[in-house]
Amino acid sequence: MPPLHIGLLGAGGIARAHLPGWLELGARVSVHTQDGSADKLAGEYAELGHDVTAVPDLDDLLAGCRAVDICTPTPTHKDLALAAIAAGRHVVCEKPLALTVPDAEEIAAAAAEAGVQLHPAHVVRYFPAYAAMRDAVVRGELGDLAVLRFTRGGARPQWAPWFGDPAKSGGVIMDLMVHDIDIARWVAGDVVRVHARTRGSERATGAPADVVTATAVLTHASGAISHVTGLWGLPDQRFRTTFRVAGADGLLCHDSLAVPGFRITAQGVRAANEGIPSSPMTESPYLTELREFATSWEDPAARPRVDAHDGTAAVRIACAAVESSRTGQAVELPPASRPAAPERGTAATTHATDPEEPTR
Amino acid sequence: MKVAVLSFAHVHAAAYLRLLRDMPGVEVVGSDPEGAAAAAPGETRGRAFADQHGVPYVDTYEEAFARGPDAVVVCSENARHRPLVELAAAHRVDVLCEKPLATTVADGEAMVAACRAAGVRLAVAFPVRFSPAYAAVKRAVAAGDAGRVLTVSGANNGHLPTRARRWFADPELAGGGALMDHTVHIADLLDDLFAARAVEVYAQTNNLLYADEVAAETAGLVTVEYDNGTVATIDCSWSHPRSHPAWGGLEMTLVGEHATLEMDAFDQKVHGHSERHARPLELSFGADLDSRMLRAFLFGPGPDGMDLADGEGGLRTLRIVEAGYESARRGTAVAVAGG
Repeated sequence: MPPLHIGLLGAGGIARAHLPGWLELGARVSVHTQDGSADKLAGEYAELGHDVTAVPDLDDLLAGCRAVDICTPTPTHKDLALAAIAAGRHVVCEKPLALTVPDAEEIAAAAAEAGVQLHPAHVVRYFPAYAAMRDAVVRGELGDLAVLRFTRGGARPQWAPWFGDPAKSGGVIMDLMVHDIDIARWVAGDVVRVHARTRGSERATGAPADVVTATAVLTHASGAISHVTGLWGLPDQRFRTTFRVAGADGLLCHDSLAVPGFRITAQGVRAANEGIPSSPMTESPYLTELREFATSWEDPAARPRVDAHDGTAAVRIACAAVESSRTGQAVELPPASRPAAPERGTAATTHATDPEEPTR
Repeated sequence: MKVAVLSFAHVHAAAYLRLLRDMPGVEVVGSDPEGAAAAAPGETRGRAFADQHGVPYVDTYEEAFARGPDAVVVCSENARHRPLVELAAAHRVDVLCEKPLATTVADGEAMVAACRAAGVRLAVAFPVRFSPAYAAVKRAVAAGDAGRVLTVSGANNGHLPTRARRWFADPELAGGGALMDHTVHIADLLDDLFAARAVEVYAQTNNLLYADEVAAETAGLVTVEYDNGTVATIDCSWSHPRSHPAWGGLEMTLVGEHATLEMDAFDQKVHGHSERHARPLELSFGADLDSRMLRAFLFGPGPDGMDLADGEGGLRTLRIVEAGYESARRGTAVAVAGG
């Protein structure tokens, strides 16, 4: 069998997080960008002996690859995804899938129509602490969930200016909080009501004090409630995520800064804040994610833990949060066409037979 | 200085009795006629409770007032604060009332009016104001080091308090559940911190914790918008497991334009594990907030100037709770009544 051939679109921070994962999976990777940065990325890896080449023409890339990995700014997702789907390629697409619900649904519908896989890259589902928590919830360890809290924050992204333009990134809710919106839904089920507020400077001005933060309360169909916050903070705001999940039979808490496994406590100079989180302790969650996606292309029975419906649902909830933040009103969401979370009893059975098998 | 503790209904009565008993220059007496007449099964009340804590006891509130107290501490059930505060006002004695001030804004307003008319001091028991961690937050905000505060995320989680005192989850006596019990501490801190008015509240609650045991809401998230632009969300849930060695805690993160601040009023503990008791061991070494609060009430503010919430402050936090219940019923944000 020829090696897996991946068409990587984009050469920014997240492309650099995905690329080592693809190489680990034995893929050869063609990189395409609009701004010439593909040459630099491909060159760096080719120099190390990896099979990574820059491809100047998108159609050439689509003609040759098995799947496309879209790691570009959010507003470009739709056109690139539709082009890849039209070429019959599976699509891995960075979160959020799109900035609007119709766009996200159009991408998902096109993929379904064409019979290709669409994988929204909600990578937090692959971070081991989150996966362990969700497994425990599915096993019924915590009983019925009642109240959940999620926080995610770090220094304002400076490596690419489009994050600071809400017209392009969708702002701190669409780009950052969407991670925990997806996790809250994954863990506690569909969301029926959202109330959110955004404070600070959504548009980056370049001033040092350029903080933007959002807070949202999600009401799940089960009656459980989630508090979710996102922060693009000051330059020295260390990247940190936390959760606290409380159910009738127990409590699970996590603080990413409290349990790094390894830390540098001095190095003579003050280190810059990392952009993309990484850990020396466990396999890269990006690799875990990409492996699960790629496996499903060979084995139709292997269904990744996140699918196109999850991606559109996250966009729908995030858009409702943005709307609530703008109008000041709580936003009601229509009942989902397909439930987000399994019944606990059945899920526990599924889990017992195969911990890797998604539980729906 | 003579102090009377009126009613032992509240779980804090035990700590107040012990602290007042041991406070130099203070002579304390307790009275708990309702508790003596009808203690809930398994709960020690009345004279036996006072004996347990080594504090003199009188059978009626009138006897307690006959001793000429300089101040009284009201520890009755939330819905029974009003008559005791009014009794204190009638005897022209300063009063420290457990939180929340009352279960309805109407009761709270009557209490404030009675104390004002009698010229007595009405203070509300919000001990977390006396946390050194909160004092540090207040200094950073007051000095402008934090810049404009954009958002606050607060959590005041505790275990279901009904094992010690059953009435906490009785909507008649408590006025509600977790939303009534645990919104007000953080709301009071922010009332003190910002001197801003709460204008809108959005609250969602459920009773998925202890659903078979209590009728009141046991979990809640309360979002409060202030007229200075700050948005605060408070997790008021009784979501701390009952078998945990700690009762719960109070944490707050403030995101300002120039600094992000975090405080935990109860995290100063040595952690370990007891083989003898087969469970985690926690040794608190933080400041005793109840003691600092009682001293400020009886002898005036300490060096950091922190004073107790007054009746008006207690009313402002109660209005937030009242709006919260209405919001939870309606599923929409609700304006906070002016006062």
